[in-house]
Parts: sequence; C-alpha cells; structure tokens
Amino acid sequence: MGYYDVDEILTEAEKIPCTFNLTCPDLGYLDNNPSAPLKSGTEVSLPLWLAELLALPIPGSEADSAYATIELPPPLSQEVVQALKADPRAVPLRDQSAHFYSLATRMLDLFDEKELTAVLRKTFAVRAGEIALHARKGATGAGGGTAEDKASNLGVGGAGEEFLRGLDEWERRLFRKAHDGAKSGKEWMDGVKKH
Amino acid sequence: MYGDLGNKLVQHAKRTQNLTHLPPYQTELVRNVAHEVRDLDKYTKSILEQLGDSFDPNTDQATACTLTVSHLAMRRNKRCLLAYHRTRTDKLEELVWSGSDIADLAGQQQQRAAPGGAGANVSGMNGDGASSSLSPQEEDYMRQYSDLLAAYKGQWTDIDLTGSLEPPRDLFIDVRVLKDAGEIQTEYGAINLTKNSQFYVRQGDVERLIAQGYLQKLS
Repeated sequence: MGYYDVDEILTEAEKIPCTFNLTCPDLGYLDNNPSAPLKSGTEVSLPLWLAELLALPIPGSEADSAYATIELPPPLSQEVVQALKADPRAVPLRDQSAHFYSLATRMLDLFDEKELTAVLRKTFAVRAGEIALHARKGATGAGGGTAEDKASNLGVGGAGEEFLRGLDEWERRLFRKAHDGAKSGKEWMDGVKKH
Repeated sequence: MYGDLGNKLVQHAKRTQNLTHLPPYQTELVRNVAHEVRDLDKYTKSILEQLGDSFDPNTDQATACTLTVSHLAMRRNKRCLLAYHRTRTDKLEELVWSGSDIADLAGQQQQRAAPGGAGANVSGMNGDGASSSLSPQEEDYMRQYSDLLAAYKGQWTDIDLTGSLEPPRDLFIDVRVLKDAGEIQTEYGAINLTKNSQFYVRQGDVERLIAQGYLQKLS
C-alpha cells in the first residue's frame, strides 16, 4: 500500500462507468470524440483515478452535485455477485479483474453496499481455504505434484489448475506465501532428519 | 486517453517485480509520458491565460471540470513515472546487495578487479557496443549506491555483510573453472584459474568468483 504501490496504481486504472452531469466543450476526447463537446448525460467509462475525484461533490455548490455520477463497475455487477453467492469457488475472479479485491475495496469506500461487503467477505474466506489447500498440495508433493510442477510458479497440476488461474492478484500473493511457507517448512524438516 | 502511456509503464514495473534480472529501461515510454505532462501543462496554462483573473470555478463549471481532468491526468502520470523508477531502483539496490557488478548488468565483460578477499585479475574484452539495460542515471545511482554500501561495510572488517547466510559445511571446497579468471592470490600461494581446470580451495577465497559465475562449486 502506498503512493509507489504498483498494484494500487494498476487498480486505479480499472474502468468505472460514469455519467456526466454537465456539458464540457473541451472534454469530448473522453468519449473518443475530440471534436464534439461532451454533453451532459453522456455515459463514459473512465479509469478510477479520474472517476473517483470527478464524482466528489463540487465545493461551494449545492449538495450532491458533482461533475459526474459513478456506478459500480462490471466486475461488481449483480451477475457476478449472484454467482459469488452461489459458489465463490466457481468464479474466476481474475477474468473479472486482475485486482478484484482491491478494486472492490476502493469502490466500497465510495458506495455504501452492506450486502456486497458481506458477499465479498464470505467469498474471500471460502476461497482462502481452497487456496491454502492447493498451496499445501503443491508444496509437499502429496497431490501428485511432479518436480516440474514444483518448479513452476503455481506448483499444482490437474484439477486445481483452473481454480488457480482464476485467482486475482491478492489471492495469488496469498497462494505464493502459503506455498513457500509449506515448502520451507518441509525443507527444514528434511534438514533436521538428516543431521 | 491521457494516462494510458503511464499505465503501460506501471505494467512494465509490475513485470519487473517478478523478474530476477532488470529488463531494459523504457527510455521512449518515459519520454512520451513526460511529454504528455508537458502538453497538459501547456494546455492548462493557455486556458487560464485566456480567462485571466475573471475565472470563477463556481460559475464556469465546464472549464473547472476540464482543468480538473488535466490536473488529475498530470498527477496520475507523475505517480506512474515515480513508481516505475522506484521499482527499478529498489531492484538495483537488491542487486548491489547480492553482489552484482554494474559491469555485469551493462552486459559488458569489463576488466575489473574483484574487491574483497580475492584480488582477482579478470581478463576480458571491453564490450562497448553492448547496450545497457540501465539508463545513464540508473548506472550512476548504482555506482554511488555501491560506494555507499562499500563504505558501510568498511566499518566492520571482520564481518562480510553481503556474504552468504548459509554456514559452510567445509572450509575447503572443490571448484571447477568455467571462465578464465586469471591468477588469484590466496594464503596458500597463487592459483592460476584457467578454464576447465579444477581446484581444492578455501571457500572464502573464491566466494565472490562463484557469485560472479567464473567458478562452479562441486559438491
């Protein structure tokens, strides 16, 4: 986390649907049409770094007026939420967004969505358990992991592969940590036996 | 769209994080992002000049919005540039600590005496034509950081701060010479390291040469 955090910067590049509340003569390029003015009511997808601040109320004017109104982005749409409710493990989060959780966290700063928060929390908890399982399997070789599997970044072959491909960045980090931890533990145990 | 180039730069940074080596510096991309910032600045200034002192953001919201967008785009680009360079300098520092030479990184087999215990006389060619993956500023940074680290390490002559953390099993090891490394001086006299020869030497004397890839440790 922080100003220099590469993942955070990439999260801010995610596109958010925005609706402009005023007509801007010079901002047509945001709608891929530089010669025409950007009309009030136009819907455009803007990166989070821009959308977030355009959606803030304008200081000194009446309440809840802003340059633009934002909505929840597609990765957090009702469809995805429904799928997550049904089975968190069956949804490849990475296909929604490589920074799914950090995007969600940022959006929940802006929206008050209690239900979404609950769904996401449960999603993470369920998936984390699954991740830990796969990480252990890969590290100890108990799941039929060959030497080649262990050498690769995601040390698991077979059934879990598809699930692991669907991990977002945060989950990947978690997986790697769990994997490395189990592996180091095993190495240490082997070392103890030897001497 | 403004900020797209900066985003590309950060994607490069992201890739760099997962690599062991340092990919080439994106001179072109960095220049273009800086250019974008300059253009935006010019644009903002021209708007403000046209309006003069009469500009009131509350009444002229469309202009205020335009200016906000340019400002945010500039700020975003700045952050992308800084994050990209920070990622690289972090990597450089890591490389210095692990004992990499700036010459190795520059892809040059320069003649260079290894500091520390082994006063190696390394023979090689001056490959000036090889393109460096570092920008000139980064090379400078690395050189100065190496000096800084050397000065810091110099305070403790009996401990090698960048040495291996693994305790050695034996004081002496078998090594095979992979590249001609010239003659080195040890406590037990001089050894001439010619390619494909094999020696039984004290580990401390050759540790650096192993790290540099001149020697291979035989178990």
